[in-house]
Amino acid sequence: MRDRFVSAFPFRLRVTDIEHSTSDESFLRVNPQRKLVLGLVTGCAVAWFIAAVHPVDRQAWMLENLLLIVFGAILSLTYRRLKFSSTSHVFIALFVLLHIVGAHYTYTQMPLGLWAKDYFGLSRNHYDRVAHGSFGLLLALPLRELLLRFGGVRGAWGYLFPPALILAASGLFEILESIVAESVAPGKGVNWLGGQGDEWDAQNDMLAAFVGAVIMMSIVALTDRKKRGDEW
Amino acid sequence: MNGERSHSRGDRFLPIVAGCYAVLWIVLAIRPVDRGDWFLENLLVFVTIGLLTLTLRRFRFSNFSYALLAVFLALHALGAHYTYAQVPAGFWLRDLLHLERNHFDRVIHFCFGLLLLYPVRDLLTRHVGARPSWVPWLALGSIIAMSSFFEILEAIIAQVVHPDLGAAYLGTQGDIWDAQKDMVAAVFGAIIATVLTTGRRGRVKGRD
Repeated sequence: MRDRFVSAFPFRLRVTDIEHSTSDESFLRVNPQRKLVLGLVTGCAVAWFIAAVHPVDRQAWMLENLLLIVFGAILSLTYRRLKFSSTSHVFIALFVLLHIVGAHYTYTQMPLGLWAKDYFGLSRNHYDRVAHGSFGLLLALPLRELLLRFGGVRGAWGYLFPPALILAASGLFEILESIVAESVAPGKGVNWLGGQGDEWDAQNDMLAAFVGAVIMMSIVALTDRKKRGDEW
Repeated sequence: MNGERSHSRGDRFLPIVAGCYAVLWIVLAIRPVDRGDWFLENLLVFVTIGLLTLTLRRFRFSNFSYALLAVFLALHALGAHYTYAQVPAGFWLRDLLHLERNHFDRVIHFCFGLLLLYPVRDLLTRHVGARPSWVPWLALGSIIAMSSFFEILEAIIAQVVHPDLGAAYLGTQGDIWDAQKDMVAAVFGAIIATVLTTGRRGRVKGRD
């Protein structure tokens, strides 16, 4: 059963418990994560609807939500196959929540960030950078689970590739962002993106994500050493 | 990792490639346009060569990979000699296509993706143990990651070395999206290399 493969473009995924997931009812009864995931999805959905009422800037909110919809669709379509750990499910939900809040306030108007800016005398609202850092911190673990379970990545490479791929995703996001900025508001450059005068905005965003992923991998490496053989 | 059969051939190939590169590197190290910039550009070369040498016993790339690496490093040595912004070939290209700047640096970013994807695939297939269907995607991701990492490093170096000059020092030549365009160039190069190597996947694995 362990060696069964199901082809799912672009990757081949190994399905370990395919029998369990054939029937809806048995799957829901057997899977102990059911309550947790249901709770997380409900929480995110409620937050999304609240944030969808009177966002600061409707157009920016729509743009921010395009990626969220794609992300959500991929997650729900692959939910059964990927079988993330409970920790990963919580992390993914946390990241989605951060993004929902950020999208409501177009990131630059996020109250907590504005407060931090005044309190610590910062040059800008750093909430977007926190979100970029969280992208690395929170999504490195689910990524590692995928790489180990389906990608065949072994040993130390299992700690190296999650930060690398987080960095790659972050780089692709910065490219996408610059293309959107240039086509929607040509000439306005980084500031239209919420760069707030940061000349190195793209590089700092990528660095935040990378550092977040490296921190999470260090934590995972330390905890894995303690309970070796256990599942994540 | 390396098959014993091709060991004698590999033994001769690598020193020849390394020797050719060393000669070129030394020639281009003589009177570079800007010694400080030349040194900065070469820091990563030292790290790369050092890593390749240290891991030589544990992992050997295929000869084709070493050839690609040498071509890329040779192009970089040329760029470093002329601080990239003043490479004659770039000026020639600018005049030929009526461009607004010397695009040699972007060509090298493109070559980074084009030439280094194969060595990365080599590593992934024979050392990391990644599933064959995942290898092209992981290789593409690795190239984009390295390109992003380089842009971060470049930004940090620029701020440490010349905080007042900022982006001007990087040879962005006034382009606010320079980092993004560099990365796009690498991605394009890597995609082209992926297409080229996927067609001959069988040969890649059977090579050594």
